[in-house]
Amino acid sequence: MRIALLAATALLLAGCGQSADKQATNATSPKSGPVLPVTDGNAAMADMHNSPEMQAMMQSMQGAPMAHDAAHQRMHVRHEGMERIGKTFKIVGRTLKSGSPDLALVRSSAATIAGLAAKSPTWFPAGTGPDLGKTGAKPEIWQKPADFVAKDQAFRQASAAFDAAAKAGDMAVIQARFSDLGKTCKACHDSYRNEMHH
Amino acid sequence: MIGFSWWSAKNDHVDWHIWSGIAILTLLLFRLLWGLFGSSTARFANFVRGPRTVLGYLRDGSKWRVAGHTPLGALSVVAMLGAIAIQIGLGLISIDEDGLNQGPLANLVSLDTSEIARDLHEAFFNVLLALIGLHIAAILYYRLVQKKKLIKPMITGHSALDPGEKPMQPGRWWAALLCLAAALAIARWVVAGAPL
Repeated sequence: MRIALLAATALLLAGCGQSADKQATNATSPKSGPVLPVTDGNAAMADMHNSPEMQAMMQSMQGAPMAHDAAHQRMHVRHEGMERIGKTFKIVGRTLKSGSPDLALVRSSAATIAGLAAKSPTWFPAGTGPDLGKTGAKPEIWQKPADFVAKDQAFRQASAAFDAAAKAGDMAVIQARFSDLGKTCKACHDSYRNEMHH
Repeated sequence: MIGFSWWSAKNDHVDWHIWSGIAILTLLLFRLLWGLFGSSTARFANFVRGPRTVLGYLRDGSKWRVAGHTPLGALSVVAMLGAIAIQIGLGLISIDEDGLNQGPLANLVSLDTSEIARDLHEAFFNVLLALIGLHIAAILYYRLVQKKKLIKPMITGHSALDPGEKPMQPGRWWAALLCLAAALAIARWVVAGAPL
């Protein structure tokens, strides 16, 4: 009797596994749209390997530390910017996961995120790390500036691509670019952000 | 599984964390159903007792002669199942800090509610830890002070009984199967966002 029960349980679990898997993936992460051919944004990436933004960011990170008050102010701008990006990103996520996404909301949010992301190269000058005050920014940011600058670049490009997709209005592409954007957030945060408790 | 949930949350594997929570939800649902339709010692009606019985047991536990959870142990069972239910409920409506993942029921509540739920979910883990610690401490106490081994009975349902004690009536195998099927069905419905 026990063996019958075990066998039946195993069968039931195996049977349920696959379809449940698919459903949950849909519920927890945006659907990836079709893979698109290389777009202008991707082609530009090679050229932008040493874009002026990246060079300027690298210089600010490796230059002389900012004066105390200015550094505090910059840290505050960074915090507010990151918070607003996060909030806006979540608002987009909510509407995309709802049954009827609000395209106007997606468009305005995508523009907000892209606008803030464009400023992000100025948010990490030398002297704005944890030595200055309470921040989620890890010291590793300034120890591995090349990697950090590259990840910031990926984030800016993904936010621009998402903004472009939102303007074009194809929901499948919007979903895919939104998913790409989220990956660039995670890529950086996993390595360079400490837990923040407000 | 609770250990894996903690580890995956600490190491930025939110997708694994959500799946781990769904697995715990399924086990919790099974235990709740088994508490209604399961073996004699598993049924809540048979082992959850009123405060008078618990106090009486606390004054003198040596006279307690019933197979299964003691009146005090019953409180621990109810507290742990309740705490896990609360923790799962909070997780189901939470959204992570960056909005990359959210519980399958998060869209049923506002974004602000999801953010509060995440903070509570994180804080409430300490309550869970305290109950688990108490649970393990109690097992050690019975083992070392009262010389009672509780781990084997917990897993198999069988223990040495005093003469005259009514032994456990095992549940039906098909009842176990139906409870498991129902638990899986409810968990799948939750994963799908609880569509009505």
